[in-house]
This record gives sequence, C-alpha cells and structure tokens, in this order.
Amino acid sequence: MIRLTYVESIRENTMARDRCKHQWRMTNPRDGFIVTEKCYHCKASRVYFSYEDVPPKDEYKEDAHYWNYAGSAQSAKFDMECAKCGKVVTFEELMGLMQCVQCDAACYLNTLSKICESQNVWLYAALSYKAGEEIDLPEEKLEILTAHFTGRLRTPGKKIIAVPGSLRKSPDTCKGEMLKDVGMLSLTPET
Amino acid sequence: MTVKDLGSKLNLKALNDATDTEVEGAFISDMLSDVMAGAKAGNVWVTVQTHKNIIAAANLVDVPAIIVVRDKQVPEDTLQMADRVGVTVFATNLDSFQIAVKLYEAGIKPTT
Repeated sequence: MIRLTYVESIRENTMARDRCKHQWRMTNPRDGFIVTEKCYHCKASRVYFSYEDVPPKDEYKEDAHYWNYAGSAQSAKFDMECAKCGKVVTFEELMGLMQCVQCDAACYLNTLSKICESQNVWLYAALSYKAGEEIDLPEEKLEILTAHFTGRLRTPGKKIIAVPGSLRKSPDTCKGEMLKDVGMLSLTPET
Repeated sequence: MTVKDLGSKLNLKALNDATDTEVEGAFISDMLSDVMAGAKAGNVWVTVQTHKNIIAAANLVDVPAIIVVRDKQVPEDTLQMADRVGVTVFATNLDSFQIAVKLYEAGIKPTT
C-alpha cells in the first residue's frame, strides 16, 4: 500500500511537471575552458570543455590524429531548471552561444539572421559538441534557451531564438565566435 | 534616465550613437558568462573587455549600453557589431570602482 502511494505520488509529480508552464533559469554553473585542438596531419579540428584549473596544452596521438593545442578561452557551462516545478535539464553538450557576424553571404545562418534582425529577432547558434565532434542541440533544449533568454528581455517586440549550429555553411570557415572570455588570462595591470 | 543622458551626466565618451533607451541598474563584470547569468535587461554594463563578443552578450540579455573602463581601446569590429544591434559603447579613463560611484551618484541604483 505504501509502495503504491509512493508510485502514485511520483506519477502525480511527473504529470504536474508535464503540465507546468516552465519558467527556466540557469543552474549548476561550472567554470572551465573551451579548448580547441587541431590535427596537424589532416587539419581536422575539435573542441572540448576542460574543467581543469589550467587549460591542457599537451600534444598527443589518438587513432590517426595528432592533436595540437590551438587555443582556449575561459567559459562556463550551465544547466536549466524550472523555477516552478523544479525540473532540471542538463546542457552538458552545449559549448556556447554564437551570434552570426555575417561573414559569408552564402551561409544559411547569415541569410536567416538578416531577415530576422529586421524584425528585432536575434538568432544565436547553440554550438554543441559530443566527443569533440559538433552536434546539434536537441530541439527541446533549443526551445528552453529561447524561452529563457526571450523571457528576460525588456525591449518590446525583441526576441532571442536559439538555433542549431548546423545552420552555418561550414564550422571551419565560420568567423562567428562563441560567447566566451577571450583574452581573460592575458589581462594584466597597466604599469 | 536614458543612455544618452547617462553619457552626458557621467562625462563618458560615446564611441557610437547614444540611444534614448532607458537605463535601469548596472552590472559590473569582466566575464561574459557572468553577464549571461546575472545581468538584467536595461542594466548598463561596466567592463574592461573590448572583444566583439561583449556586444553579442549585451544583446542577448538586453543590455542597452556598455562602459569600457580604464581607457581600453575598443576595436572597430566591436563598434560595427554594436551599431548592428543598437548597443551604445562608452569609454572612460576611470576604473570600475570610480564608475560605480558615479553611477550611484547619478541615481543608477542596484537592481534586484
């Protein structure tokens, strides 16, 4: 009987969460570094997030690749939590958001950005990676980011939309940069 | 207070067009992740960062103006991006603490 009540309460909670009109907020912030590596043989590149205090700069061989450190920037990861029902959605694969810099007229993200910007709608590509390879963030998570950032706006009519990174013509030629702390470690006091 | 009024009142150098957007509160940080998580729409953002990423971050959280402190040189591509999204960039030789005091004296109070 007790067991049945427990199961029913879980089911009730789950149903309540499904009905909830979520109000997303950031949670579980995790500091670290976005590290870019390049293979000097085949010119392939990959990106990963390091939680170490100092970004790793070791060269190493893995399968057919010879990975070399190509740069890093301080950043943070986060998850999203509903302030109403407590549901937490993890964003471990999300490396960062990127706004199009309109570098390539033939890029779909560029074309779409220009159309949207004229209506005060701003696209941010949610660049995501799994095992160093770029993947698209699932639609549900894109919607959560869109709801969260648009919900924080004050300007009437303005909207933020998170879109998949695959809208870019090519990650290799795209000049857009993720929102990360470029040059933070080189900030030095003036003499 | 509008962005334009803020510039005149604090004697800031506007590096692009100062808008008539209302400013409410301020946020001081040099980390973009901090701004993404903590800045509120309408805040003026005080930072030493000048990379064009700051404009993308400001636009994301609806920050209408950025004050770049300690005479840091703001690159042209940052200003072009600022024009595109309608964010005003100010420059000053003061540091973050001095600007914080001036903002408070000008009536910009912390937002909760």
